[in-house]
Amino acid sequence: MTEFTLDRRKFLAGGAAGGLAALLPIDLLHAQPNNGKTLTVVLPSNPITVDPINQLNHDAMVLGQTVFENLVEYDLDGVLKPQLAKALPTISADKKTYVFELRDDVTFQNGKKMTAEDVKYSFDYLLDANNKAARRSLFTRITKVTVLEPYKVQFDLSEPYGPWLYFLTKYMGIFPVGSRQEHGDAYFKSSPKGVGTGFGIFEDWKPNDSITFVKNPNYWRKGLPHWDRLVVKMIPEDATRVAYLLTGQVDVISAPPPREFNKLKTLPGVTGASRPTLGGALLMYTNTLKPPLDDVNFRKAIACAIDRKTIGDKVYYGLLDPSSVPAPPRGWWFNAAADKELGYDLERAKAYLAKSKYPTGAEIDLSIQAEPYLLDTKDAAIFVQAQLAKIGIKVNLKVYEFSVLIQQAIRGEHQMALQVFMSPGEPSYILQVCLTPDQVLSKSTGYNNPELNGLLAKAFAETDQDKLKDIYGAIQTIVARDAPIGVLGYVHAANLWRPTVENFKVNQGLTISVGEVKV
Amino acid sequence: MVLVRAVAGRVLASLGTLLIVGLALFVLTRSGPSSPARIVLGVDATVEQIRDFERVNGLDRSLLAQYGDWLAQVARGEFGRSFVTGRDVAAEIVNALPVTLSIVLTAFAIAVVFGGALGTAAALRPGGVVDRLSRFGTVIGLSIPAFWLSILMIRVFAVDLRWLPPGGYAPLSAGLVTHLQFVAMPALSLAVYYVAVLARMTQASLQETLRSDHVRTARAMGLPRRKVVVYALVNALPPVVNLAALSFGYMFGWALIIEQVFNVPGLSRALLNAISQRDFLLLQGIVFLFTAVFILANLSADLVNRLLDPRQRTAA
Repeated sequence: MTEFTLDRRKFLAGGAAGGLAALLPIDLLHAQPNNGKTLTVVLPSNPITVDPINQLNHDAMVLGQTVFENLVEYDLDGVLKPQLAKALPTISADKKTYVFELRDDVTFQNGKKMTAEDVKYSFDYLLDANNKAARRSLFTRITKVTVLEPYKVQFDLSEPYGPWLYFLTKYMGIFPVGSRQEHGDAYFKSSPKGVGTGFGIFEDWKPNDSITFVKNPNYWRKGLPHWDRLVVKMIPEDATRVAYLLTGQVDVISAPPPREFNKLKTLPGVTGASRPTLGGALLMYTNTLKPPLDDVNFRKAIACAIDRKTIGDKVYYGLLDPSSVPAPPRGWWFNAAADKELGYDLERAKAYLAKSKYPTGAEIDLSIQAEPYLLDTKDAAIFVQAQLAKIGIKVNLKVYEFSVLIQQAIRGEHQMALQVFMSPGEPSYILQVCLTPDQVLSKSTGYNNPELNGLLAKAFAETDQDKLKDIYGAIQTIVARDAPIGVLGYVHAANLWRPTVENFKVNQGLTISVGEVKV
Repeated sequence: MVLVRAVAGRVLASLGTLLIVGLALFVLTRSGPSSPARIVLGVDATVEQIRDFERVNGLDRSLLAQYGDWLAQVARGEFGRSFVTGRDVAAEIVNALPVTLSIVLTAFAIAVVFGGALGTAAALRPGGVVDRLSRFGTVIGLSIPAFWLSILMIRVFAVDLRWLPPGGYAPLSAGLVTHLQFVAMPALSLAVYYVAVLARMTQASLQETLRSDHVRTARAMGLPRRKVVVYALVNALPPVVNLAALSFGYMFGWALIIEQVFNVPGLSRALLNAISQRDFLLLQGIVFLFTAVFILANLSADLVNRLLDPRQRTAA
């Protein structure tokens, strides 16, 4: 037997070795057999729920979209395509009846086959006012859901309303008959295991840290997903989120800091891309019922005095596409002539001001949000303040917390308010919510124009894209004429990821899309 | 007996403070301009939906009634269920508390050991190298913002050198070395300011004691230098203990920033989320706990000082 003696030299050597071990690279210290492929993505905020019918945060929609699916999907390129339905729906001539043929090879994560009964149950649950789904109001034009055959379902609408199909991906999901009563709302909110048809099965939620999903082995799209486990981490601090990526602790991050984005994406070991969203608008709600914004020429003076291109290039480092109308420059429904009408032109701005009731200028309050959401609007607000000063309009910046600012806009208590407004990315949402009566944000502008309302109703009944382009073009012409709302531009969605991640594409809808990603 | 009575008095006073702070907290959290319903139900929620939510969650009742219910719950060790996340508040606190505690305790240990040692060394040789270095170091320590130091440390130790993870947390059960690797940077960033504060206080207090009559007498009597220093240290400790106890309480507050930067899922992260999500119950629970820690730290300082200083015992 070997005798073990410890002298001072051995003790010191051992201590030094221990000290060195503690300083070894963390990857080495954590080296362990990797039996499965884990994809780790990072969100900048802390989600409240996984449940799509109550989801408010667009970053957090990755959670619901992992577990739940819909009849059709508004995909990351902004294309509407079938998901749980075999094809896009058949729509009746009066545009009030939609019939979907469902796939017959889809099972829920609990092993139960998905049928038309589940679709009916899911929509009936969403539409029942007693269930208080936050997203119910978007779908209230659906009056009846009827099961025609085990894999065929019909939707009846009270009036033609095409946009509802585009809202499904963000705000709805199909769940099994009886599941809401069986499990309760809290289950869908924070541990929806087995109740979706999606590619990931909910596994665990560590509050303030991460939410994990495991691969759905019976997913109907064979071969997907390519990962075994999905970890969605929450890291609110920009610098830390980036550090996690640079040190290989995570694979994909959302909301990279705009100032650093162009530099970061060129670093070795980092890939990055951005693309314009079709629905993320930097809006300036102008309360047309309050002086001096009650004067159309005054509003047009403001619109023409703002150099949106400089805001896009210098304030947001290219992550904002300038637009002066509520349509993204890269959207098929964008009307360039209308955009030009309200575009930057200081001389025209001065001329409009001179024609207004306030020819010598005026003083207005601009409410802005204290904490950034998608983009920090404070820098843009300072720039707007400086620009409007050039034509004699004095802007007082008022900083409010999100919930206070949105209340002001809902009640119409503000004069002007600047905010990033994320919509599903189809043409009607912002127009309807902000510029027509009896909507949540109707009072944010106080605008009500029967001509615009009529055109919008016409758009809801139309499905042909060429005709829709004309209708939405005409609406933008009205907006350019009346300037009822300030638009500064459309934000880009941006992501950074590690080169080990394949098939990753930035989603025009902002939410990280992970279903087809390889790691 | 006198001592027991005095301690019981302090404990009762502490409980009273806790109740008053609890009430203030309750009123303040509910005096904000918007309801948590707006956060949960979203921008599109109707007035009826908001009212329903408030009724179901008892937010439409009088403040006093809500406070009474809450106190009764707390007495039973329950903090209620968050109406924003639906999770049990007590469970959330119990999960997050060890994380914050491990960082704060490590930072506190660093602050006490290094602050005390530096202050003592500097006081023993005024004008010497250690004294000058200590003065320079403490000015730096007092001036560097913790969040900036944190970001700098992440850059150097995590991104460039890859010695330590950039953030996150591993519990002790993951192994001591791993645990310390995760705790090292947050604890150090948190400790730097308090090392400086405690070093300054230890130095000032010890120097004053060393100049006092009884120490001069001890020296004149020919007591060994080491013994004199130990006596002086014990005499110099009470203000340092008070400051250390206060620092311990403040550290919980500063951990708010540190945990955010290092992405540590501790109490402070939970608190910030509770604030932004108008999660009253979670917010109350955590701040109530912070208050209790602060009061407990002060109470402990009082008790330690009574042990260190015979005059305080007699006064009691």
